[in-house]
Amino acid sequence: MEVVGTLVRLIWELGVYLVTVLPDLLPIILALATPLALGALCGVLNERSGVVNIGIEGIMLMAAFFGYLTGFALHDAMGSGPSIALGILIAVLVGALLGVLHAWLTVSVRADQIIAGTMMNIAAFGVTGYLNRLVITPSGRGGAGVITPFHLPDQIANLPLVGPILVMFFDQGPIAMSLVFIVIALQLALFRTRWGLRTRAVGEHPKAADTVGIDVYRQRYLNVILGCAFAGLAGAFLTLESTGSFQNGMTNGRGFIALAAMIFGRWTPIGAFAGALLFGTATALGVVVAVRVPEGDLGGIMRSIPSYWYAALPYLMTIVILAGVVGRSTPPAADGVPYVKEGKG
Amino acid sequence: MKRLLAFGLAFGLVVAGCGGGGLGGGGGLKIGMVTDIGQLEDKSFNEFSWKGVQDGASAVGGSAKNIVTKDIADYKQNIQSFVDQKYDVIVTVGFLIGTDTLAAAKANPGIQFFGVDQFIPDPIPANYQGLLFNEAQAGYLAGIVAGTITKSSKIGAVGGREDVPPVVNYIKGYENAAKSVKPGVQVLVNYVGDFNAPDKGEASAKTMIGQGADVVFQVAGLTGAGVLRAACNAKIWGIGVDVDQYQSLPDAKACIVTSAEKRLQNATRDAIKRFKDKGKQSGNFTNDATNDGIGYSPIRNLNPVPAGLEDKLKQAIADMKSGKLKPVP
Repeated sequence: MEVVGTLVRLIWELGVYLVTVLPDLLPIILALATPLALGALCGVLNERSGVVNIGIEGIMLMAAFFGYLTGFALHDAMGSGPSIALGILIAVLVGALLGVLHAWLTVSVRADQIIAGTMMNIAAFGVTGYLNRLVITPSGRGGAGVITPFHLPDQIANLPLVGPILVMFFDQGPIAMSLVFIVIALQLALFRTRWGLRTRAVGEHPKAADTVGIDVYRQRYLNVILGCAFAGLAGAFLTLESTGSFQNGMTNGRGFIALAAMIFGRWTPIGAFAGALLFGTATALGVVVAVRVPEGDLGGIMRSIPSYWYAALPYLMTIVILAGVVGRSTPPAADGVPYVKEGKG
Repeated sequence: MKRLLAFGLAFGLVVAGCGGGGLGGGGGLKIGMVTDIGQLEDKSFNEFSWKGVQDGASAVGGSAKNIVTKDIADYKQNIQSFVDQKYDVIVTVGFLIGTDTLAAAKANPGIQFFGVDQFIPDPIPANYQGLLFNEAQAGYLAGIVAGTITKSSKIGAVGGREDVPPVVNYIKGYENAAKSVKPGVQVLVNYVGDFNAPDKGEASAKTMIGQGADVVFQVAGLTGAGVLRAACNAKIWGIGVDVDQYQSLPDAKACIVTSAEKRLQNATRDAIKRFKDKGKQSGNFTNDATNDGIGYSPIRNLNPVPAGLEDKLKQAIADMKSGKLKPVP
C-alpha cells in the first residue's frame, strides 16, 4: 500500500515538474523537432504514393552540405542574408534533384527501393565528407553565418497560457516558423484535394488508379520529388538555421528518426509532426532534467540516473515506437511495390 | 593494377611533400610537427602549438617544419615522413594522434616525441612525453570572471561528456572559483553527452538562461558553439575554452568575455628547450600556473571591466603558483 502511495506521489511530482518546465522548453522542442518533422513529411509523401524512401538521411545530409557550401561561398560577396536565402534554395533544389534520382530508380527502373535508399545514404556520407575535406576544411573557420531567430516582444511572450505557445512558434528562424503552415497545408492537400486523393490512390491500389486514368508514374515522380525537397529543407535547417556549420555525418540518424515519426503518425502530416514533437520533447527533456532538477524524492531519483540515459532517451523511444508498442499502424497497401503497367511488364 | 598502385604511391608522396612549410636554419636540431586534422592557421591547437615549436626551434638554434594532416588516416604516414628524414624531435598535436605517436616512439627510440594533449599510459617509452594541462586551474580563472560579472548570481557550464576527465576538471575549477568570489552563487552544470551536437548545446544553454543564468562556460567542443550562440542570442555572457575563442569562433565575438586557456605556445616551446637542456624527456608533463601553461584570454566585451577583476585573476595565478590555492581541493 505504501509503495502505491509513493508511486502516486512520484507521478504527481513528475506531472507538476513537467508542467512547470514545459513552457520554457516549447521553443527548444520545436527547434529540435523541425528537421525530424520535415524529414517525416518527405517520408509521408513518398510512401503515401507507394515509394519507400529510407534515403532521407542521405538527402538531408547532401542538402545540408550544398546549402552550407552556397552560403559559405557567397557570404563575403553577398552578405549574410541573401547568401543564406540562396543557400536554402540550393538545399531544396538538391533535395528535389535527389528526389528525381530516387524516383527514377524506384519508379522507372523499378530497382529495389531499400537498396536505392541505402545507396543514397552511403553515397551522401562519402560525397559530403570528401567535399568537406576538399573545400570547406582547408579554407578556414569562417562560417556561412546563421539566421538570427526572431523574438516576440515581452508583452506578448508574458501572456499567460497563450504566451509560451506563441513563443514556441515565433521565437524561431524562418524554416521552423514555416513548418506549422507546411504541415497544415499538406494535411489539407492530402485529404481534401484531387492531388491528395490521387496520391493515396496510387499508394493503395495503383492498378485501380490506372484504370480510372491516373498516371501512376507521373504521380509517383511528382510526390517523391516534392517530398525530397522537404528533406532538402530539413538539411538547410541543420546547417543554415540551427548550427551554422557543417560536420561530417551531422544528420546523425535524424533521417531514420524521421521515419519513426512518420510511422508513429500513421502516414499523416499532422501525425508525423506530432511524432517529431515527441522526439523533440524527449531530447529537450534529456537536456533539461540535468539543468533543472526538481525538488523532493523525484529530484533524488532523477539525479541518481547517469546523464547518458537522458542523452539516449530519443533513441530508446525510437526503438520502443518501432517495436510497435503504439499499436499496429498500417502502411499504404502498395507501399514499396513498384507498379508495372499492364502489357508493359 | 600495378600501374594504378604506382600512381597511388606517387600521389601519396606528392601529397606528403606538399604539406611542408617552415623555418630554415643550417645545423642544430631538426624539429618536425604533425598537426591535427584541419589547417595550420586554425587560431586553435595547430596554430599555437606550431608557434611554440617555432619559438623553441629558434631558442635552441634548430630548424622547424610542419606537416598539416588532412585526414585521420594520414597521421601515421605524416609522422613516418619526419622519421624517414631523420628528424631529432617530432611534436604531434591532439588527443587523436596519440596512438600513432606512441607506436612511432616505440619503433624509433632515437627520436624524441612530444604529444600535445596526449596522456600516455604506462609503460611510457623513454623518448615520449605527453604535454598535458591543468584544466582545473584554467577553469578556476574562468570561474572568477563568471562569479564577478554575474548579476543574477546564477551561472552555467555545459560540458561535453562526463567521462572525459579534462572536461570535468575545467568545470570543477570553474564552480569552485565562482563560489569563492561570490558565495551563494548557483552553478548549473550539464553534460550533454556529445561533443558534436550544437543543437543540444544550444538547448542546454537556453534552459540555463531561462533559469536566470547570465554567464555560461562551454567545455564541449562543437556542442559548445551552440552554447555560445545561445548566449549571444540572449545577450548574456559566454566563456570559451582551450584557446582564445574570440579569435577562433567569429560567430561568438559579440558575447565572449574571456576563455580558459591552455597555453599551447609555451608548452611546446618549453618542451623543446627541456629536451635541448636535459636530453630525452619522458612521462606526462603537466603545464600549469607554475610554468605559464594555463591562463585566461584578454577580457573583452565588458564595459567597464569590473574594478578589481584583473587583480583577482592575477592573485589567483600567483596563489596557484605558490601552491597556496588548489582549484579542486
